[in-house]
Amino acid sequence: MPADVKHFAARRELAQAISTVERPGAAANQRIQVALATSAAESRHALVVGITGAPGAGKSSLAAVLADVARSAGRRVAILAIDPSSHESGGALLGDRVRIDEHPDDEGRFTRSIATRGSGHSLAYVTAAATILVEAAGFDLILVETVGAGQAEIGIARLADVVLVVEGPESGDEVQAMKAGILEVADIVVVNKSDRPGAQATFDRLRTGLALGAGAPELLLVSASASAGITELLTTIDEVGSRRGIRGRIRRVEAHLIAAAEAHMDAQVREATASGALTTRAEQIVAGSAPLAGALSDLFGFSEDSDA
Amino acid sequence: MAERATPIRVLIAKPGLDGHDRGAKVLARGLRDEGFEVIYTGLRRTVDAIVSAAVEEDVDVVGCSILSGAHATLLPKVVVGLRDAGASDVIVVAGGIIPEADRPALEEAGISGIFGPGTTIPEVASFLRAHARRR
Ligand SMILES: Nc1nc2c(ncn2[C@@H]2O[C@H](COP(=O)(O)OP(=O)(O)O)[C@@H](O)[C@H]2O)c(=O)[nH]1
Ligand SMILES: [Mg+2]
Repeated sequence: MPADVKHFAARRELAQAISTVERPGAAANQRIQVALATSAAESRHALVVGITGAPGAGKSSLAAVLADVARSAGRRVAILAIDPSSHESGGALLGDRVRIDEHPDDEGRFTRSIATRGSGHSLAYVTAAATILVEAAGFDLILVETVGAGQAEIGIARLADVVLVVEGPESGDEVQAMKAGILEVADIVVVNKSDRPGAQATFDRLRTGLALGAGAPELLLVSASASAGITELLTTIDEVGSRRGIRGRIRRVEAHLIAAAEAHMDAQVREATASGALTTRAEQIVAGSAPLAGALSDLFGFSEDSDA
Repeated sequence: MAERATPIRVLIAKPGLDGHDRGAKVLARGLRDEGFEVIYTGLRRTVDAIVSAAVEEDVDVVGCSILSGAHATLLPKVVVGLRDAGASDVIVVAGGIIPEADRPALEEAGISGIFGPGTTIPEVASFLRAHARRR
């Protein structure tokens, strides 16, 4: 047997496991259960870092350099990069790997692109389950890059131990608008592209705008391209992470259960819409020939008392 | 609507040293619109990098965009690399300008499909639907 088969075996097993959990069902549950048992038996405790921010802010580039710094400190690092599926075709263009160097000989790295598929949120349903599998495979640091638009923030805040919000140098004017959204989810706000004019000014405005105090996010100025400020960023991530204690895996299972419930609900809504049952019931309700009460149980299988 | 089938996953790679990827990007977007999940890896990837990305992404297809016969020598190495990595069920296809004379050797080496410059995206899509492994 060529050495390479063994060499790739672990990565291949993890890659296939992620594909398995992308298809909900008994096999997916079994896989997740095995992963949880492995992590418990081997006392694995990965730190899951969510990276969010507008498209183009530099999330993928930042994930790549963070991975380099963490890797050179001997940590095993995985990147899960999420991109949207097209609502029309169901296909997706997953382009984050363009910014992430390949390290074919390094077993201590793993990168996977994930499409949102049916998820109404910008975080794929499978994301939490994927972090559980990646942790069981022995990765200490898991960087999750969101789509960076819409509802991703809510999903990533639920899943990640530490949330980074990445801003570009141009976002200074919208500090006020940004503030509310950022404060809700960010543990760390990163102004990226410090090599570009305007970044320092944005950083200064944010420092004033995000008035420091209890619960205020950490604020850092970095450049992914120049790999400047990245070691400090990783230190800050670890500090925030260690304040969180060991709820990590419980949090991931919670996030997975919520995602599974949402997937189930979304599928039922799609079905009721496509079959015409939803429209039929709405017409009947408007015409007075069927009651509003009971509609949720008839259409979506909710229990009777939940839609009295 | 019934449960959607799992989309076919395709890695689009650009082996070799030239810095031109317009065709690869057009193909990537086109296949996305045909319902494929397309992982685009960017320029100048080595054979090892293509193989490890294909393994990590658990793709069904590796599509290589090539511009000359010189690049065509890399294709058999991708096939061998996938086989050595235990991923011989992943098919390898190529698009670009490939001299007619080079085709038999490539087919012999395990390249499943070769698409010349006139091939349309729907043609590529239906080829992949017919030949990619089932899940
Ligand atoms: N000047 C500069 N450009 C950067 C930096 N980080 C990322 N970029 C560029 O910003 C663009 C978007 O980066 P990407 O990582 O893909 O952003 P994402 O969409 O948030 O994942 C790319 O052209 C990067 O090369 C940086 O620190 N400085
Ligand atoms: Mg990105």
